[in-house]
Amino acid sequence: MDSYSIKTLDELKEFLYRAMQLEHATIPPYLTALYSIKPGANQDATQVLRVIVVEEMLHLTIAANILNAIGGKPDLVRPDFVARYPAALPDGETDFKVGIQAFGREALATFLKIERPAQRPEHLVGKGLIYRKTPPDITALASHPRHEDFHFYSIGEFYSAIAEGIKYLEAEAHGAGTTIFTGDGSRQITSEYYYSGGGELFPVTDLKSALEAIELIIEQGEGDGGGIYEDDDHELAHYYRFEELVKGRYYQKGDQPGQPTGPHLQVDWEGAYPIKENLKVEDIFEGSELREAAIAFNTRYGEFLQLLTRAFNGQPSLLLEAVPMMFEFRNMILELIRNPLPKHPGKNGSPTYQIPGGIKQPAVTRQAEVNA
Amino acid sequence: MLFPLESAIRADAKTVAESGDYDIVIVGSGISGAIIAKQAAEAGKRVLILEAGTGANSTLAGYDNLLTTFYSAASKDNQSPFPLNANAAIPRSPQLRKLQAGETDSSNYIVQSGPYVSDTVYTRIFGGTTMHWEAKTPRLLRSDFTTRTLFGQGLDWPLSFEEVEEDYRLAEREIGVSANVEDQQYLGQTFPDDYVFPMRGIPLSYLDQQVNKGIEGTSVELYDKTYPLKVRPYPQGRNGIPNPAYDGGKGYRPIGAVDTHQVEEGGRCQGNTNCVPLCPVQARYHSGKSLAKAFAVSGERGERLVELLPQAVASKVNIDPDSGKVRSLSVKIYKDPASPAHETITVKGKIFVLAAGAIETARLMLASGLRSTSGLVGRNLMDHAYLLNWALMPEICGTMRGTSSTGGIVDLRDGPFREKQAAFAIDIHNDGWGWATGAPTSDLLELVDDRNLYGADLRRGMVDQVSRQLLLAFMIEVMPVESNRISVDPQYTDALGNMRPILSFTVPEYTMKGAAYGRQFARTVFARLGARDHTHYDPNDYGYVAYEGQGYAIRGGNHLAGTHIMGTTKTNSVVDKNQRSWDHENLYLVGGGSMPTIGTANVTLTLAAICFRSGRNILKSLH
Repeated sequence: MDSYSIKTLDELKEFLYRAMQLEHATIPPYLTALYSIKPGANQDATQVLRVIVVEEMLHLTIAANILNAIGGKPDLVRPDFVARYPAALPDGETDFKVGIQAFGREALATFLKIERPAQRPEHLVGKGLIYRKTPPDITALASHPRHEDFHFYSIGEFYSAIAEGIKYLEAEAHGAGTTIFTGDGSRQITSEYYYSGGGELFPVTDLKSALEAIELIIEQGEGDGGGIYEDDDHELAHYYRFEELVKGRYYQKGDQPGQPTGPHLQVDWEGAYPIKENLKVEDIFEGSELREAAIAFNTRYGEFLQLLTRAFNGQPSLLLEAVPMMFEFRNMILELIRNPLPKHPGKNGSPTYQIPGGIKQPAVTRQAEVNA
Repeated sequence: MLFPLESAIRADAKTVAESGDYDIVIVGSGISGAIIAKQAAEAGKRVLILEAGTGANSTLAGYDNLLTTFYSAASKDNQSPFPLNANAAIPRSPQLRKLQAGETDSSNYIVQSGPYVSDTVYTRIFGGTTMHWEAKTPRLLRSDFTTRTLFGQGLDWPLSFEEVEEDYRLAEREIGVSANVEDQQYLGQTFPDDYVFPMRGIPLSYLDQQVNKGIEGTSVELYDKTYPLKVRPYPQGRNGIPNPAYDGGKGYRPIGAVDTHQVEEGGRCQGNTNCVPLCPVQARYHSGKSLAKAFAVSGERGERLVELLPQAVASKVNIDPDSGKVRSLSVKIYKDPASPAHETITVKGKIFVLAAGAIETARLMLASGLRSTSGLVGRNLMDHAYLLNWALMPEICGTMRGTSSTGGIVDLRDGPFREKQAAFAIDIHNDGWGWATGAPTSDLLELVDDRNLYGADLRRGMVDQVSRQLLLAFMIEVMPVESNRISVDPQYTDALGNMRPILSFTVPEYTMKGAAYGRQFARTVFARLGARDHTHYDPNDYGYVAYEGQGYAIRGGNHLAGTHIMGTTKTNSVVDKNQRSWDHENLYLVGGGSMPTIGTANVTLTLAAICFRSGRNILKSLH
């Protein structure tokens, strides 16, 4: 066991918090790309993005279930929870940046990196984490809580570390005649509250269900051991769905990775609004309606995360209230994306996802904070 | 998965024509055909489904295209999402006009020969009318099965409620009904002790609750009997919260849809108010969900057991004159919806199932010259008569929030009064006056054109006017009458040369008596709510019916039934209690057309239930 392994329950909880942070971090880029598509254009891309956003939400919920199962408290309103974009994600020896941008070739290239099945090349097997100094203003996702500058080679490796940690701690607890799965079962989110969302949501109550949960997250993202289809439902892993768009062809059964042979599909690379990448509220002309709209979205998004936090902390039925909120987001994001950005000719607005921390403060203070 | 699945299950006309080994050939991909196909496939039988429409909406992209058509259509009638296809034409209400006495209007697909003009519709596309149904799924009441015996009205079923009860549960499972047992225990409806519906009930809307507040604890008197009033939730075929107690604690898993990817398999109901004509997230059940499961069944050699042949319009049922059995179907295959060019193929099988809806099934039988021993094919056409009543509530009630209809006043669905007048169920419409007046478009025009409002005043005006709208839709019982019928005539044909249905209908007096009482009842309810009655029936309305000096605009309910009625002998009915034709032993006529009465329940759940019975009977006959 190396010094990077998870050895305490508190450490495991922190890892799972970071897993939730990681799962959430993909939602703003995917959601923005989805809504940047012009009405009527890119039907296939729209479906792919919609499906994947929903599955990322499922992953977020699964991570919360695992954290709850070991007696942790999911917290989506911690000031560092929402990534500052562009944020760094592990991708082999060099990290890459994931940002907020319109649907297009560049966005797809990033999405492929996010979902790429990354296995260590032979010369790096067993070599520990990758050292890389992350600048202080960049969120480094899926990093090690005790060794902030040491990075996992891939998201899959990050989750494997969690799985190993769970196995280790549970074996240790088992030896002492106890278990780490001491969480209150009523805090689990079940398919009553979340279904038809890219997979079956099941309660995590023991080692077996915890490992199954992690397996589901890994499979949906990167695919199962390099195969293009997930195991059970013959669903394409995210990586290959994005690849279909890049290659302009569907995969079908029997295809080899990288070589889809199904029907052709159309991607209209011009069929998205030209939003300004990684826009910040500070970049929007003060006093403009667009700035107000960006702030209003951030405030509402903060309230959404607060709602999710309550839902994941014993009030699962609150998830029902999250549904109409998602509609509000669509409308608020479209408002930003379909309007020109003052003083940036040719560019449109965008949500900035600068979510005010410490959401419990009154709204006025929060706005001031963002404006500052 | 996003790969277009349909290419895997679509049959081609040539192979179908040459293939003689289908166990079952089904005409129509609506809920009846879907249930029988799925049952048969699970039993290892080979099934061919003929679909008159293009089948394009069996993929997610095709389904989404229907939505796009709907969103961009100027007329939001309940057929507006569906493409024009003269080879599989469908009726649409905006095309209707009032008839003069003795006049016949043949300008639309259904020839209206009057005197009443019906705006009833059905959908000839993949998924049938479940593509635009509202998905209310009440069961028939126990008494509805024996109205002749109990009230001297209508016909008794050859089946009792008890014989259908278990199949109701199968249908509720297939559709994934959302309801709470305790809400449905009224007027003698009972459920097994451990029964729960697949999903928990969809909550009452705020509008329902406000109406309930105004009427709960009050009652009405009818022929010396008191009926207490309250708003009760409707059972619904749309995804709500799965009930973990379903199936002895195994829970219910909402599944199935066009395509197979889970996210596309029907989301949870989001309260979009355009349930009719089309749910944007497939929360509402449609038979594509059952068909997706049927298409996935493989045989012993891994072959798909259910095939779909789209653009295939059955034009003739061919009978062997010696045995009286169906020998084959003549089917017209068109290449392009925009052209009548077609080839005719002959399709063979062991069992034939006509599942094309009450009008098309009867039309096909009659066009094939099959008039049955009883002479009842096409007769006894039924459809609920709808009487709309609309008013403005005293304060804002959040109209336009929620699914089309979540609750209603249903305590007058039964009572001794049914000896004299029709029963009714009242739907509270969450989508305002739309059905009656074309709101909210009509409100916008009025505020702008007549009252010159704009800006903030216009916005406020819209909210004030629309979110107080209350529409009570009285769904009134219609009993079977032989002269209400579908017939055919060689002078009226469609693009493919098939004879079109001719509809002759008179709203029976029994029903009009119920309507007249319903109008009074609405006034009583509005008074108790402090709501201002805006109901107005125009004598020029195509559905205008005068009764005892008063006029009423009667709307069709699209709850078609009765045209191949089920009974105890070949002289009093067209099909037996398994929906098998008395005259042709390998022919089943299924769906609403078999129902002897429709009471005050939307017909889909019941017709789905009796298809489970037919499916079992078909499998037995194949062994």
